Amino acid sequence: MSQSYNRGLIEDFGRWREFEAGMWAWIFHKFTGWVLIGYLFTHIAVLSTGIPAAGAGEAAIAAGNDVYTQTIVSLEGLLLVRLLEVGLLAVAVFHMLNGTRLLLTDLGIGLEAQDKSFYASLILTGAITVASVPTFIAGAF
Amino acid sequence: MSTQIPKQTEESSETEAETQPASKGEERRAEKRRRAAERREQRQEEEAEKAAADESTVELKVFRYDPQVEGKQEPRFDTFHVPFTKGMTVLDALMYARDTYDSSLTFRHSCRQAVCGSDAMFVNGGQKLACKTQISDLDEPVRVEPLPHAEVTKDLVVDMEHFYDQMEAVEPYFQTNEYPDGELEEQRQDRENREKIKMSTRCIWCGACMSSCNIAAGDNEYLGPAAINKAYRFAMDEREGEDIKQKRLEIIEQEHGVWRCQTQFSCTEVCPKDIPLTEHIQELKREAVKNNLKFW
Amino acid sequence: MAERYSSFQSGGRMWFLQRVTAVFLLVVLAFHFFLLHFVHHADEVSFLASSARMEQLSYYSLMILFLVTATFHGVNGVYNALVNQGLTGTKRTVIKWTLVAASVVLIAQGIRTANAWAGIGLY
Repeated sequence: MSQSYNRGLIEDFGRWREFEAGMWAWIFHKFTGWVLIGYLFTHIAVLSTGIPAAGAGEAAIAAGNDVYTQTIVSLEGLLLVRLLEVGLLAVAVFHMLNGTRLLLTDLGIGLEAQDKSFYASLILTGAITVASVPTFIAGAF
Repeated sequence: MSTQIPKQTEESSETEAETQPASKGEERRAEKRRRAAERREQRQEEEAEKAAADESTVELKVFRYDPQVEGKQEPRFDTFHVPFTKGMTVLDALMYARDTYDSSLTFRHSCRQAVCGSDAMFVNGGQKLACKTQISDLDEPVRVEPLPHAEVTKDLVVDMEHFYDQMEAVEPYFQTNEYPDGELEEQRQDRENREKIKMSTRCIWCGACMSSCNIAAGDNEYLGPAAINKAYRFAMDEREGEDIKQKRLEIIEQEHGVWRCQTQFSCTEVCPKDIPLTEHIQELKREAVKNNLKFW
Repeated sequence: MAERYSSFQSGGRMWFLQRVTAVFLLVVLAFHFFLLHFVHHADEVSFLASSARMEQLSYYSLMILFLVTATFHGVNGVYNALVNQGLTGTKRTVIKWTLVAASVVLIAQGIRTANAWAGIGLY
């Protein structure tokens, strides 16, 4: 018979309503980080079509008939891809703003206002994302 | 110097199955005890009913677990209705519940004035010192649980061994090689330096910070906020001298030292003594980096 | 002596590098987004345009540096996240080297692509 009881992850996810700003910032930062590194791999994979495209010959390249140009153009033609790009921007902007907040924290600046700076990064992320939607969607229709 | 992994408790206690009373006399006494217990239970039930009907009572939901009592081996929550009095703390309410309804309700407490650090608990989803948490500040029902991320020994009592091990790992006592000239001379600290370490000296070893730390929960070897704060208290004390400070920095700089901190501020939020733990951890990180760059 | 004093303990060195790359990435990622979404638009991408940019040595070297720091920052971040969850022992070693291998592949592939655009023969 066990002498003590391990409650395991009782508080980690069960009490998310009680999480404070710093905890949310950490969760979001981690989540956006995973998305960004995932995207980096995809990004390089898609751009790699430039390797076969380079051998396509000058005429094809000038006409935009190479694999790379074709791949990107057809991808960017999809509304879904455009929307995902807006999402990517939001994720990147949050990671950058909150990253700045964390760098300041590392320098010992503004630790008393860490919750406010987290809310500020959230709001700013929202604002920048919304403001960028027209540019990101342009030409998709 | 490495942080330690908590030792497993190996003692096992086999509770004997019901012992048969040997003689008639013993049987009678057992019967008497049983009746007394029944009466007591009835009285407690009546008290509880009366209290539940009363409007000015507080509803407490308390985590119960006891490996040695059948029926309590599976953790459960018990509800207690405690008459509210002005200025009542969570600890007061628990003590009332224990003294009036169920004497087996177990929790640690001693000084009742936020100094001894024995009654840190998980109250309504946050690490709180029960003796300085006002009932009137809480939503009802008040949910009282043992500190998360620690093994529960019984009811609200958790095993603090690992926490103490981590505290020991940073050598939490004054050391120096620089003594004043006269034999009876005091080791004086200037006011400014005293101010610097003032907050860090307030730690009462309650373990609330360690329990709130998500990283300490995942990485068992992480020193944790309290221990790092303790290291800060001495590393920043100028009387210890440069060589001891180097030794201290080496301890907190190990892989499972300050670098594990992810600045979630959870520890700072829950600390009942308002120690700016994150700030201290961050300062030690900078101190360590500066120290290493100096020789790079 | 040098050995004793000059080296960061592993945790500290990585922590510091993570911050240094963060500062660099902040600037370059903002530039990258701005250049490729606001100056040039997403639907105007072509091999020719990418190639024209990559042929400038300054842009080429910036992008290579960008790739290397981003890979380090991202992969090290993933590794830290796993270690913080309590990853230890053999599992940790295996994951560490898997991540290193993935990074090498990613960087190599990225450089090959950049070379293709820049017209450098090595790809």
